[in-house]
Amino acid sequence: MKPLLGTFYLLGMLVPGWLGYDRSLTQQRQEVVDKVVSPWSILETYSYNRYHPMGEIYQWMSEIREKYTEVVTQHFLGMTYESRPMYYLKISQPSSNPKKIIWMDCGIHAREWIAPAFCQWFVKEILQNYEDNSRIRRLLKNLDFYVLPVLNIDGYIYTWTTDRLWRKSRSSHNNGTCFGTDLNRNFDASWCSIGASHNCESLTFCGTGPMSEPETKAVSSFIESKKENIACFLTMHSYGQLILVPYGYTKNKSNNHEELIQVGQKAANALKAKHGTNYRVGSSADILYATSGSSRDWARDIGIPFSYTFELRDNGTYGFVLPETQIQATCEETMEAVLSVLDDVYEKYWYTNSARKAKSTALVLGLLMSFMSLL
Amino acid sequence: MQLRRQPLSAPRPGDTRPAAQRLAVPLLLLLALQGAAASGGPEDSGWLQDAEPSSRLLSQAARAALHFFNFRAASPSALQVLANVLDGRSWVNQKKEYKFDLVFTTEFYSAEEGEKRLGKCSAQVFFRNEKPRPAVNVTCTQLVKKERRQEEDYQLYKLMKQLKSPLNAVSIPDSHGYIAPSLRPIWDLAFLGSSYVMWQKSTPFLHYYMSQISSVKQWKTNDDAIDFDYTVLLHEFSTQEIIPCRIHLVWYPSKPLKVKYHCQERQTPEEASGTEEGSAVALTELSNF
Repeated sequence: MKPLLGTFYLLGMLVPGWLGYDRSLTQQRQEVVDKVVSPWSILETYSYNRYHPMGEIYQWMSEIREKYTEVVTQHFLGMTYESRPMYYLKISQPSSNPKKIIWMDCGIHAREWIAPAFCQWFVKEILQNYEDNSRIRRLLKNLDFYVLPVLNIDGYIYTWTTDRLWRKSRSSHNNGTCFGTDLNRNFDASWCSIGASHNCESLTFCGTGPMSEPETKAVSSFIESKKENIACFLTMHSYGQLILVPYGYTKNKSNNHEELIQVGQKAANALKAKHGTNYRVGSSADILYATSGSSRDWARDIGIPFSYTFELRDNGTYGFVLPETQIQATCEETMEAVLSVLDDVYEKYWYTNSARKAKSTALVLGLLMSFMSLL
Repeated sequence: MQLRRQPLSAPRPGDTRPAAQRLAVPLLLLLALQGAAASGGPEDSGWLQDAEPSSRLLSQAARAALHFFNFRAASPSALQVLANVLDGRSWVNQKKEYKFDLVFTTEFYSAEEGEKRLGKCSAQVFFRNEKPRPAVNVTCTQLVKKERRQEEDYQLYKLMKQLKSPLNAVSIPDSHGYIAPSLRPIWDLAFLGSSYVMWQKSTPFLHYYMSQISSVKQWKTNDDAIDFDYTVLLHEFSTQEIIPCRIHLVWYPSKPLKVKYHCQERQTPEEASGTEEGSAVALTELSNF
């Protein structure tokens, strides 16, 4: 009997989503993960203006899925280095329409707390408004949103328990003397060629090989499996107030660079209109610094046309330790920018089709009318 | 034309050189820079003007200039941060020396949300051989009248004198970015001291931000001055490293700032740790007013 149960449990670990939300695993975790998990609903009083520890974010995901069950599903991506489950939320309006996927991940760098805060805000805004907001309703007709609120879960927890300014993952190297890979240098995009280090001590340590880290593998294998249908890849960071397009590993530009800049600039304008915040738009190599192995560059290189890194507030005054009092304004303006990008993506794929239909319908009607007038 | 290679001399505090003479040196520096841009013979150390200066490099040089400006002003109530670079030119020569000529706007560091008064500065910044501690010549429009600034500094000073030693404060700000109002003057004063350190450490390729005060070792106000010994975490942008720096400063309103510091660098070939001492008096040798 026991070996059978054990096998079932192991199978449950291996088959994504089979056991649903893995409460038993999180209950085994000490510290912050289950510190504030309460049996009562946290969604009623969940403040999107505060930073939340990972335990609360897990619980929030679960309750979001339960509350908005008609459009939200929760999916297992993989396990982190320290064996924590990675989940993304899929927001999808059931329909027979063909859909394109919008991917958004936050918190690949642990200390950039405003990013996971934005992912949660984004989900909340879509779900609270999709029924009566025509703009969001339109987007959901043909777009599915896949949101990963915290990519670097181990690192994020570490910033709550131990070191607020930790950046990397928590993988162990050099016989346990050195920790953490910079997950945004670990993707297979000119891996470790520039702007990254082979030295584990460095904050830009690229790992032991491209996609060496479980977190990177989890995200990349999923994206790879869906890449034909992914129209837009957004990865959220802080700080610097930038909208970055490929590439970081070279000054060369992607073949749709002009379009990416145009869409990005429109988004920056929409962002600025909200609270006056200035964002700059450009390729990473041009306006930030050279980097290799970034998720954004990798996504573009496997064929995803719209691939952006957002560096959110601020400009260095508080940097990573952005005050909670700025969460709302930051999220509101970033929402405008993201919706602007999504509008452009939507129109690129669906406007041309419907415009063509409208034009041909008008043509037929016109012909009919003129024919009838001749009778 | 040797002038542009000499350390820029400036009046020491209390100096009473006539105004014309005090203007002469900055004017000569400007002329030297103009000359450098125009000429290109071997005796001019071959300054090559960058046709398309990277906005990133210009911003970094502007920040270095502002760190120096803030340090020299020694005014925790009037700290300024970079808003936008309006105009900038850069030159480099074979000796890997970098020169920048900049015009940029600034904002108040402690501006409340919505308060958007812009100041304007012009600066020349000179990096010797990609090394830190650039020579800076910077002038800024007065965002606040001198009397008001002195008064606000004095108010800050009085608040700080009343503070019971804030040694319990573990991190400022805390993890959530919160700074208790009573501790706000400490943050401002710490930023002032950090400005000196960040100026000292800036190179064309390394630029710094202050992330957090990680501990307060000592807070004394026995005699008149504030004696502040603390550790600050600096964030270096291109390497993404967090560098702890122990800083000891002595401040009294309207007096030059005295600073000592020691940063804990990870041992890399280009940088070594060390203790440095500087005061405004020694520093005036490196800049013009």
